[in-house]
Amino acid sequence: MSALRVRIAFNKVEEAKYIAHLDLARVFERSMRRAGIRMAYSEGFNPHPKISFGSALAVGVEGEREYVDIELVQELELKEILGRLQEQLPSGIRLLEGRVIDSGTKALMAVLNAASYRITVAMGLPVSEEKLQEGIAAWLDRKEIQYMRYSKKGRVEKDIRPWVKQLKGQVEGDEAVFELEVEMGSQGSVRPEEVIASLCDLEKLPLDMDILRIKRTGIYVSYEGQKFSPMEHEAFGK
Amino acid sequence: MSDITAAEIHKQVERFLSKVQKPSRYLGSEWNSVHKDWEKIAVHMAFAFPDVYEVGMSHLGTRILYALVNSNENALCERVFAPWVDMEEKMREKKIPLYALESYHPLQEFDIIGFTLQYEMSFSNILNMLDLAGIPLRAKDRGPEHPWIIAGGPCAFNPEPLAPFIDFFMLGDGEETLPELLQLLEEQKKNPVPREEFLLKVTKIQGAYVSEFYEVQYKADGRIEKLVADPRAPKVIEKAIVQNLDQAFFPTNPIVPYMEIVHDRMMLEVMRGCSRGCRFCQAGIIYRPVRERSPETLQRQTDELVKMTGYEEIALTSLSTGDYSCVQSLIHGILEKYSGEKVSVSLPSLRLDSFDVGLAQEVQTVRKSGLTFAPEAGTQRLRDVINKGVTEENLMQAAESAFKAGWSRIKLYFMIGLPTETQEDIDGIAFLAKKVAALGTKLGRRNVTVTVSTSSFVPKSHTPFQWEPQEGMASLEQKQRYLREKLRDRRIKYNYHDVDTSYLEAVFAKGDRRLADALEWAFKNGCKFDGWAEHFKYDTWIESFKVFGLDPHFYANRVTDYDDVLPWDHLESGVTKRFLAEEHRRALQEARTMDCRNADCTGCGICPGRGVQIDLKG
Repeated sequence: MSALRVRIAFNKVEEAKYIAHLDLARVFERSMRRAGIRMAYSEGFNPHPKISFGSALAVGVEGEREYVDIELVQELELKEILGRLQEQLPSGIRLLEGRVIDSGTKALMAVLNAASYRITVAMGLPVSEEKLQEGIAAWLDRKEIQYMRYSKKGRVEKDIRPWVKQLKGQVEGDEAVFELEVEMGSQGSVRPEEVIASLCDLEKLPLDMDILRIKRTGIYVSYEGQKFSPMEHEAFGK
Repeated sequence: MSDITAAEIHKQVERFLSKVQKPSRYLGSEWNSVHKDWEKIAVHMAFAFPDVYEVGMSHLGTRILYALVNSNENALCERVFAPWVDMEEKMREKKIPLYALESYHPLQEFDIIGFTLQYEMSFSNILNMLDLAGIPLRAKDRGPEHPWIIAGGPCAFNPEPLAPFIDFFMLGDGEETLPELLQLLEEQKKNPVPREEFLLKVTKIQGAYVSEFYEVQYKADGRIEKLVADPRAPKVIEKAIVQNLDQAFFPTNPIVPYMEIVHDRMMLEVMRGCSRGCRFCQAGIIYRPVRERSPETLQRQTDELVKMTGYEEIALTSLSTGDYSCVQSLIHGILEKYSGEKVSVSLPSLRLDSFDVGLAQEVQTVRKSGLTFAPEAGTQRLRDVINKGVTEENLMQAAESAFKAGWSRIKLYFMIGLPTETQEDIDGIAFLAKKVAALGTKLGRRNVTVTVSTSSFVPKSHTPFQWEPQEGMASLEQKQRYLREKLRDRRIKYNYHDVDTSYLEAVFAKGDRRLADALEWAFKNGCKFDGWAEHFKYDTWIESFKVFGLDPHFYANRVTDYDDVLPWDHLESGVTKRFLAEEHRRALQEARTMDCRNADCTGCGICPGRGVQIDLKG
């Protein structure tokens, strides 16, 4: 019996960026228990608390606005849930806002299909603003961009261009800062560092990929040409 | 020597942390971790576990001592683990010395570093960690600018192979002696005295063993002639004992790691010690006498643990939890109170003869995993030799109850190479495994799985089998092959440990100071993480013994006489050598010795000798 389902937006920054996706559920579960808020559990031999996230954030990547759905078996004011939970979360995870949602609301995983990133890369050699803009434009003009991905099964080459919706960049001191928007789908997506590595390689930009910071600035529901936050779930159908 | 600051280490580590495996091993900011103001605290201690984070964080003693030191307002304690090989590589490449997780201060800057000695196969990691910290390995090469390097834990009962590297060892329970040591360190920081003078003060602490005050003399044949103690130091070192465990310090706000560790749950220590008297078991001797905590204390500690950690599972830990006098009522109490929050209870050590399927069923209401039993030997005769009081009937009854209650996976633990073992005993292992599997099938369980694990017997110091040799490697391997053939059955899985690791473990378990040179050489030639099969370099170890003219067989495979001087004779667990010898004779006569918990005193010597007594609460 589920009494309450809440959707919470949070950020995951600083040291919390190293918490792996699988560990994050445990962090929330234990924080909820410390906060004394009773969660709903799945049935079966191995009951799990009903906590589900949007899309996995890679280890080492900060998230400015991530989402989690939690089901409770306790009637509590939203404000109290957020307040009590926040006190028990590790530093680096801050709750931004919450909403009570219908039990029929589609899972985050099923609706989130776009993400934006900010990537900051040190320059190995100085790159002018002009050169950077030319490089980005040329890269975006390509119809197909093969990228070699190394996995346990060996090397796989795949076309990463279709996933990239937008790429902008600018020089800031001795760093280049990129704003990237990608699609995510059931077939996967492209990793932000792959886009930048490919850009450096194909457009001959001497950036130092060893010194790079990535932040996911948002994840969205892209629906009929418009971008929604999963908090506005009524806006994009049931 | 490096002058790198904590802030600089933090900054540099941050640059590559995303590139190493499992970076949350190295964060130091986990829930309930303690971060004290370095500048305001007099004594800085680093607690060092010579294995990887997820192993070290699973160890209860580490958690107790970490909280104990931090509860002292004049001291702080931080943690350090062996960095995994990828992290070590990065650190060496960037010249980052080993640092403590909480504050990133290099180990070099601490006043004292305490290693825990949980198993012999972690000795090489101790040297690697000292080296990575830029601290000279040998005590004689260190000066007042270096931290004191100390060690405790079960292997401190024969720490001789580590003697030249460690300033002093602490034997026994640390809850009462560690605060005394902190006091000494605080005085030493205020009014420093020369090394020797400080170490003499240390010898006054119960259980403290300063090995440099003891000189070992050898006979021409390699055996020990005698041990000469400095007249200013005690002749023998008696371990420290906390008599009142119920009142002893126990932290209820342990660190909750971000990552999944080996024992990822709350740990409630229901009792310390075990008086079953299995003759191979070192823990059963060195943790005597049995002391229980009261159910009231444990219920209160549980309440606090749940509140402070948010963990979903609590393990009732001890050497044999089924023996705890109040186990039933404690479990009922916990389950009743916390079932709504889905907090489950687990019992990591259940014996077949104290196995109560109702109990097992109850604790597994939330999560259903396999059940583990440890008959240890394949025949009643050999189980009597080792004084493992369980019978075939116990096993079959327990298995029947378990199958009937819905379990289909059962694990069975055995040892091979036990003293007096014959072919019949090996066949007995296969016989029992098949009998259990057949019973499962007969009772209509589908997917019956019986996992048989054998480990090779390693004779340990302070046990009735300390005089026994380890069986030769070729013969142990032959037994493993035999069992592999014999256990071919789709319901049975057979696991066994590498024999060469067990052999090295025996060398060090029974080793003396002369092994230190080989240990150092092996470390310098790449040995580390010896307990991890993928890192174990057997050939390098064998080479290291050759370099110093040491014969590993002398240590592992030699029969020792009752009147031989053993390398650990001056280190006392409180159980007398006479009792151990008597137990050894009884073993060879296949005679059982009963548990003093519910029978007569066995005369092991601990209670009268040390003025303590067993403390039962039920």
